[in-house]
Amino acid sequence: MDRFTLFLRAVLLCVLVPAGTACHRQRDSADDPSRIHVGIVFDIGGKDDRSFNAAAFAGVTCAETGKWPKGDTCGKPALEIVLRDIEPGNPTSIEPAMRAFAERGYDLIIGVGFAQAPIVETVAKDYPRIHFAIVDGVSELPNVASLIFKEHEGSYLVGLVAARTSRTGIIGFLGGMDIGLIHRFEKGYEEGARSVNPNIRVIQNYVGVTDAAWNNPGKGKELALAQIGKGADVIFTAAGNSGLGAFDAVEQAGRVNGRATHFVIGVDSNQNMVKPGFVLTSMVKRVDNAVYAIVQDVVNGKFQAGIHVYGLGQDGVGYSMDQYNKDLMAPETVREAEDAKKKIIAGQITVTDAMAK
Amino acid sequence: MILDDRARSAPTRSPFRHYSDGLLGELIFPLIAVLAAFVVGGVMVLVVGDDPIQTYRLLLGSALSWPDGIGYTLFYATPLIFTGLAVLVAFRGGLLNIGAEGQLYVAAFATAWAGITFANLSAWALLPLCFLAAILAGAVWGAIPGVLKARFGSHEVITTIMLNFVAVALVGYFTQYHYKAPGDPIMQTTMIGGGAHIARLGRFIPGFPERIPLNLSFVFALIACLLVHLFLWRTTWGYEIRATGSNPQAAEYGGISIRKQMVLAMAVSGALAGMVGINEVLGYRYRHYDGFSANYGFTGIAVALLGRNHPVGVLFAAMLFGMMIRGGIFVDAFTNNVTKDLVDVLQGIVILFVAAEALFRGPFASHRLLKRSKI
Repeated sequence: MDRFTLFLRAVLLCVLVPAGTACHRQRDSADDPSRIHVGIVFDIGGKDDRSFNAAAFAGVTCAETGKWPKGDTCGKPALEIVLRDIEPGNPTSIEPAMRAFAERGYDLIIGVGFAQAPIVETVAKDYPRIHFAIVDGVSELPNVASLIFKEHEGSYLVGLVAARTSRTGIIGFLGGMDIGLIHRFEKGYEEGARSVNPNIRVIQNYVGVTDAAWNNPGKGKELALAQIGKGADVIFTAAGNSGLGAFDAVEQAGRVNGRATHFVIGVDSNQNMVKPGFVLTSMVKRVDNAVYAIVQDVVNGKFQAGIHVYGLGQDGVGYSMDQYNKDLMAPETVREAEDAKKKIIAGQITVTDAMAK
Repeated sequence: MILDDRARSAPTRSPFRHYSDGLLGELIFPLIAVLAAFVVGGVMVLVVGDDPIQTYRLLLGSALSWPDGIGYTLFYATPLIFTGLAVLVAFRGGLLNIGAEGQLYVAAFATAWAGITFANLSAWALLPLCFLAAILAGAVWGAIPGVLKARFGSHEVITTIMLNFVAVALVGYFTQYHYKAPGDPIMQTTMIGGGAHIARLGRFIPGFPERIPLNLSFVFALIACLLVHLFLWRTTWGYEIRATGSNPQAAEYGGISIRKQMVLAMAVSGALAGMVGINEVLGYRYRHYDGFSANYGFTGIAVALLGRNHPVGVLFAAMLFGMMIRGGIFVDAFTNNVTKDLVDVLQGIVILFVAAEALFRGPFASHRLLKRSKI
């Protein structure tokens, strides 16, 4: 026997011997059939986008462990579920990911983002006995829950805050992909700003027209810098990962006497701590609440298909206040925003929904 | 081993001698590379804190289960067979086609364009039209770098890479502004006519659900393997392409127009890449979906390399990659720490080992099997 065959045998031995012993291994707790199995498929941005997907991840993590992903309690009970997640990374992997959960007989499969709506629809048709939920999309199938948000209402409030805070009378809006859903943010923002300053100028830009627009912080920063160059001193981002570029841009603009000259308004998750001192507030979309609620429904056997709307009244949208921005917003601005919030909930103010036909 | 001994005792008489030398010699390095990659990958799984055996069982089990595993594995392999063949043909002609990605994009859009524009035709007219659109669009997009090289001597690696960007942007533009359903937030064209749909294999195989998108394109891919083999090794054009690839000066001296061969090889290569559009548009989504290609064009290079630039090798390599794509999703979802990046790492190591074949060749250079295989 020469060295070559010896080598081959060694390789085979390495591969085959452990493979044989593995057959007797016990199944781990993840396969426990008595628990509710939840699979979540994130959007292209991934669960660490500190924004939309991060909010969804926070919701399912809270349902699984009773804690936020960082480890502090989320104030809700853990639901004894088995949770698995997939970050597809490219649009072609979304459907296979969803099908992987379906093939394994998961109880609830959550798709995050409007782009997954048609995919959820296709897969849900093939697996009518599995519950599906789609965040930001609408489906009319009897086993799909559509979780949608009144982003225009939350955007109205941060528009008001932006207009009150701006010294130049020019504010910016940075959208991700140029689509109806983001126009909804933009329209609400503009209306909120005009409600306190009818002469305000709103500069708006979109990062792009494809999926890639959510994941291009470089271009986000360029656009934000251009808006700053035109005089905008508060910029509201609704651009997923690309929005983080605007955070860099306002930081680059610097501080005078310890106070930032330009501010950014975060979106979806509370982004106040991303660049403390530069983030005026965040238009939070409580995807975490919505996702937790749908998991809870499935656990309690109360899953309902159809549209679940989350507005200001349901604590589904809002603006964030915490230790990072309490010194940035004037108390009268906060009072005004709270006032507007009450009026919207009461129906005294109607914010235009750019997606309504 | 039996074969080994017999060959040793009577080397000239064994009927298997030639066979074993040729085939084994060809297969041995890709096989070692794959095994070695799995061993290295296993160590990585251990490092991130999962069980490598469980992980590999999950990977292979999900890729080979019936019917979903096999179905999806072959479905993922289909475009890779086409792009692998595309790279192979160019490579045999001495050209490196990095542009399969752009060629398949243009072709997929052209297929959808034909399917939308002539939607009302009957299947008998529409299907050939869509096929023609896919193949022609790919061939033209592939021929451009061929012409540029033949006419101006511009290097095909540069031109094909650059044409990828042009293709993606161009197709994106037409999809976004001319062929999208109004108000659709997703970058996709409208649906093609029903006559252009090609059947899924579930229709012919009992117990194989039709929801699995594996379709007749896979059969076309197998036929393409055969045709490429016949073309390269049984036709004059194929001979001339190979001659140009192995020694352009000698080929030219022998009366072959190497400029013509460059254009021809690139056009055939592009046409093969373009056939991905048939699988994608006519067999799967029934529309052009922007960003549908998960780097099929670039993975095709790896497939051709691992398949040792032979149609049969490409077929097996594409299936291996299909398995990894399919299994990667399950590994990502159902292990605690391993993500599908592991699969990318595995692919990377496989390629690295195949490329660095000398690494293995060195210590075993004296072995009988390797002496005669000149690759």
